Amino acid sequence: MVRLKNRYLLVNILYPELGGHYLQGRKAIPDVVEFNQPTTDALTAGALMKGLKAEIANVFGDYGSGAVSESITVKYLSPATSTFILRVSRAHYRIAWATLSLMTQIPVKDGRNCVFRVVRVSGTIRKAEEEAIRRARELILKTRQQLGEKRDSILDDIFGSTEAETTKEEDVLTVDRSDSEEEKDDSDGDG
Amino acid sequence: MLYDLNVPWDPSQSPLHLQRTISFLSELGYDTLALNHTLATLTPQIMNPIPLVPPFTIPKKTVLLRRCTLIIADPTQNHRLPALAAAYDIVALRPTTEKAFLAACLSLDSHSLISLDLTQRFPFHFKPKPFMTAINRGIRFEICYSQSMDVSGDGGNARRNFIGNVVAIVRATRGRGLVVSSGAISVLGCRAPADVLNLLGVWGLQRERGVESLGVNPRGVVINEGLRRTSFRGVVDVIEGGEKIVKENGKGGGEKEKRMQGTPQNGVGKKQKGKRIAEETNGGATPQLSKRAAKKANGDLTTTTHRRYPQQATSYTRRMKEKIW
Repeated sequence: MVRLKNRYLLVNILYPELGGHYLQGRKAIPDVVEFNQPTTDALTAGALMKGLKAEIANVFGDYGSGAVSESITVKYLSPATSTFILRVSRAHYRIAWATLSLMTQIPVKDGRNCVFRVVRVSGTIRKAEEEAIRRARELILKTRQQLGEKRDSILDDIFGSTEAETTKEEDVLTVDRSDSEEEKDDSDGDG
Repeated sequence: MLYDLNVPWDPSQSPLHLQRTISFLSELGYDTLALNHTLATLTPQIMNPIPLVPPFTIPKKTVLLRRCTLIIADPTQNHRLPALAAAYDIVALRPTTEKAFLAACLSLDSHSLISLDLTQRFPFHFKPKPFMTAINRGIRFEICYSQSMDVSGDGGNARRNFIGNVVAIVRATRGRGLVVSSGAISVLGCRAPADVLNLLGVWGLQRERGVESLGVNPRGVVINEGLRRTSFRGVVDVIEGGEKIVKENGKGGGEKEKRMQGTPQNGVGKKQKGKRIAEETNGGATPQLSKRAAKKANGDLTTTTHRRYPQQATSYTRRMKEKIW
């Protein structure tokens, strides 16, 4: 028995539009934060599924809805981070993806305008989860970077400040050296 | 490097919205953007209304170019394209009739993009011949993907027409010589590169061709247009210019002249308007660089010079060879 092959799409919901009511009246917020706002709680897995299926029927017709209806499910949905994981069969994941690209609204009543961005397509749900965690971390770092140019170092905040600058430099140098050695090896191999 | 050569620009547009669009595109990973000014008719005095430096801060890595798209219906009219080309960084044509389309493909010069309005139905077939002639002349065809998100236009047929036209263009060109850009009137029309590739894939464009149409092809357009404006006959361009004579007071009052190599930034800054610096500085290596960095820069240099060869250059060198032998 051959097992069913699936694709897991990790999707971010982005809010690129100006002046969301969520942030009204608050100034000096980095654009990254504004793009990655939390989604309304009205968006449940069921509502998302319903909206997505309706849009697939709209764009791809009966053929598209039939092709994906067997396999499509929302595996994970986090309104707080505006992230969800969608499972689709491998043969037809492009249909679901293209539909997501063509959607411009949260599929709830009076849903806000948004952009669905597929950030990772993977064969196992584990990789999709790992990617979601990695991206969340990266987002925090990026935000700190944009916000806190006044602070000395972001790394200090995370790992505690270190005094030994010299050792740091050495580390950098050794890293650099080994890198260049590797490069040399590569070029030798090529030649 | 990803390019988006069509960010619509309008004199009446609020800078806040434009800034948001630019910021969002940069967040999605595009770093060279062209602000597009669409002209339906020409004024007697051709001026570029797009400011060189926008009135807001843009993300660090982003490079802004200024482009204009001229709508032409009658190719026999004098459109003063060379004057337009002098005022803008990139010139595109939007033909509305078959005559104009053929002229833009076959005879008209000094534009580098043909940007058809794909939401309408064209009364003629897209045949491979004019397309391929144009591509061999160095002209690229633009597809603005945000038009596919517009459902209401043309009595609800906009998306259908768009997809039909894209399929026809991909068939006629077999995916070669396309430039994919957003053309997003509102920021909601922008999509991440991976999403765009998937959409194009669903419409029948191969993945490699899609990658090409987001990176290599628009880069070729930008570089060629830059070369056409700054170089000698589109063949030779001085990157490492600006050798400077510095006078030094040596011992005994004698003046020693020392030749100093100008930094590449200086040379480029003098030759160009300063906007393409980010493009060009890849090519030069400052003497202070470490070995590794210098190696990297050298690698870059070869690739850039290689790619920078425009269509004219090869034909010109060929002509020169024929003359000599």
